[in-house]
Amino acid sequence: MALILRRLLAAATLFLIVLTLAFAVVALAPGDPLAPSDPRIPPEQAERLRALYGLDQPLPARYLRWLGAVVLRWDWGQSYRTGQPVAELLFDALPPTLLLAGAALLAQYLLGIGLGLIAASRPNSRLDLSVRVASLVVYALPTFWVGLMAILVLAVGLGLAPAGGMTSAAAFELGPAAAALDVLAHLWLPALVLGLSMAGDIARYTRSSLIEFQATEAGRAARARGLSETRILLVHGLAHASPRLLQLASVSAPLLLSGAVIAEVVFAWPGLGTATLLAIQSGDIPVVLAATAYGAVLVIAASLAADLLLSRLDPRIRAE
Amino acid sequence: MIPVVAMRLLAAAGLAAMLGWGCASDTPRDTTRLTVGMRFEYPTPNELIGLPTLSYSAISNQFFLPLMAERPDFRDGPPTWAPGLAADWEFSEDRLRLTVRLRPDAVWSDGEPVTAEDVRFTWLAQTDADIAWGYSFYKESIADVEVVDAATVRFHFDAAGPTALADVSTGLILPKHAWGERPFAEWRSDPGWFFENMVTSGPFLLENRTPGRELVLGRNPNYFEDGLPRLERIILRSATDSAALTNLLLTGEVDVVSGLGATDAQRIRNRPGLRLIAYPNRQFTFVSWNTRKPWFQDVETRRALAMAIDREAMVDTIWHGYAEVGNSPVISSVWAHDAALEPWPHDPTAARDALAAAGWTDGDGDGILERDGVPFRFELATFTSAPARWDAMQMIQADLRAVGIDAQPRRVEANALIQRMRDKDFDAAASAFAIDTSLDLRYAFHSQSIPGGDNYAAYANPEVDRLLDSFATRLDPAAGLEDLHRLQRVLHDDQPMLVLWEPLTLAAFNEELVSVAPNALSPLANLEEWAWR
Repeated sequence: MALILRRLLAAATLFLIVLTLAFAVVALAPGDPLAPSDPRIPPEQAERLRALYGLDQPLPARYLRWLGAVVLRWDWGQSYRTGQPVAELLFDALPPTLLLAGAALLAQYLLGIGLGLIAASRPNSRLDLSVRVASLVVYALPTFWVGLMAILVLAVGLGLAPAGGMTSAAAFELGPAAAALDVLAHLWLPALVLGLSMAGDIARYTRSSLIEFQATEAGRAARARGLSETRILLVHGLAHASPRLLQLASVSAPLLLSGAVIAEVVFAWPGLGTATLLAIQSGDIPVVLAATAYGAVLVIAASLAADLLLSRLDPRIRAE
Repeated sequence: MIPVVAMRLLAAAGLAAMLGWGCASDTPRDTTRLTVGMRFEYPTPNELIGLPTLSYSAISNQFFLPLMAERPDFRDGPPTWAPGLAADWEFSEDRLRLTVRLRPDAVWSDGEPVTAEDVRFTWLAQTDADIAWGYSFYKESIADVEVVDAATVRFHFDAAGPTALADVSTGLILPKHAWGERPFAEWRSDPGWFFENMVTSGPFLLENRTPGRELVLGRNPNYFEDGLPRLERIILRSATDSAALTNLLLTGEVDVVSGLGATDAQRIRNRPGLRLIAYPNRQFTFVSWNTRKPWFQDVETRRALAMAIDREAMVDTIWHGYAEVGNSPVISSVWAHDAALEPWPHDPTAARDALAAAGWTDGDGDGILERDGVPFRFELATFTSAPARWDAMQMIQADLRAVGIDAQPRRVEANALIQRMRDKDFDAAASAFAIDTSLDLRYAFHSQSIPGGDNYAAYANPEVDRLLDSFATRLDPAAGLEDLHRLQRVLHDDQPMLVLWEPLTLAAFNEELVSVAPNALSPLANLEEWAWR
């Protein structure tokens, strides 16, 4: 319990620091986000909008009012671009991002563990070498490039997947089962592309952990008991590797989120990344701030979850 | 075991999804509907609280109508107006009053008639300080809007002006009976409310909205034009990235995309089943030379810069030919453009000679010219969000380097750069303007627009001021053609800005679509007439 409280307190402090830094960076950046882009619009117009959005107040007062609204009411203000409440806007954008990131995480672990198992089952063979080289290559390839190529070949070329979006046009008319299948048809390719980038890492970690396990006393004992190689690797080896793999999940959470921003744009996926990019392009400061904070919350939550899970799996951490 | 099972399940699900998608892709086209790809999300049907952009207007115009609509005939002469919700209109002799009679068959989608009360309500909203509509300046000339009877409304003006019809017709007429209950002070706090309380007078109504994904427009059965719209449903799908939209077009997931980049247009140009249309818009891209800086104070140097820069190469390389070399801020697709103006030729030798004549020499032999001890080295800025302009900056840098000038390209966040340009805190910068057909260019070249305004170059010429003022107050713009030609000649000679190019808008359509006629006023112009062959 003490560990959980300590971790929660640290997470809250970190979140507050992120909020303050994000506000400071955005507030001190040059330029006026409400300045009319059309030169025929008189400057008084911007003054009116500034007053409406409270930007005519001194910086410390704006900061305190903003922080108070965020912390007490989770109120992130209104989007300068759409006028929509920011919390509502991101509430709409968050589920698609979580779905994509979750599916990518699944793809990443399934692919990574699968490849790691294959490589560990024949260490130093040609197969092992191929898996290791392939892991490095996919890790090195930029997500946007892989995404574009995947769309060109699999969607535009072969018609195996939609070229983008989360649903087909007018999907609101579909029944629940057809709608789910429609989302799945749109999800598999971006999830695979996003998952691929980290799958190589998982594969290499899985491989080295399994090979390491085979050399331990436990590994030798399992073999002496006559267990099959498959069972040794799948059950005992993976149990041995799981703490390290979980640690990787906490590391890959921020990478998945930043990767999701790119993948969402390439695949026209309507999530947090797309909303953030639009906000950055249009100087929509309230959305930029909130999206930064949402990203921070997701990363902190993922790290916290991984820490707590690790402490359940590894008694040494609880003892600390 | 678990990973193996999970992997099998995932593979099965993926296969099912792929097969499902494959089957769905083979379904025959539903000719009652059309899917349009757009690079933004439509934020609100209430144009008074949304950002004033052409893209949003193109959609708002499907829901609501203005009293009169500008015709896209600005190449032939000053703007003319087609009836919208107005049946006809008439000025008083002194042009201080305009009486507008509404169409008797104009009704809202809920069956309520469109009345003069709606027109007055709209004017009150357009000019309300709490709503702070971006284009409220169009209404400054209107002193009052009088309801004469249910179908007649009278506009009263402070003074007779050439833009009276433009001032009256700017803005769509809003439904008082549906939106009047909400205080103006609350309009900006919840733009979603207007989606929930939509009644429309235009060809379409709102059928469904999925935030971040799509907007579905359905046929308005109460629209006054018989037989229109021809399509029952328009689905507007959002994707922020131009390449992503192009991919959706190539796979047939959308039927129309407007605002394509030149590179994407290349992918579509010869694609079977698709038709690429390139049409003029009303923008031009330019480099402003800050005349307060020592490099750009004299006309001879600015002319030399115009001759040193190869704009044809930019149009060919960056735009793949989908643009025209710019020559005047009165762009070539409007009636008052002076076609007799000869563009400054790309002539590096002449540029070098002109620079030498202006006193620029390479005294220290470092390859960079100097004058009065000041090296010809300056920062050439543009927006981070303008890749075409950034490419152009690289080309300008190379062109100028060839004549001994060191231009240092730099990307700056858009709002920050605009502010710097308005404060004259820059050396040279590339930007773009979109002109309207009133052709009132005082904001860009009048000396009164120097302090904090958009006369970025800080250019002051009494003759230009006089010509601008004279044209802006003429009741008959056509009679001011001579003034406008003279203005273009002076600007061409003085070169406070070098107009780089006039881009074309690139739109791609499924070639089975008929009656499609996008224009500079709207990429979805005459959408109600579009149909499948």
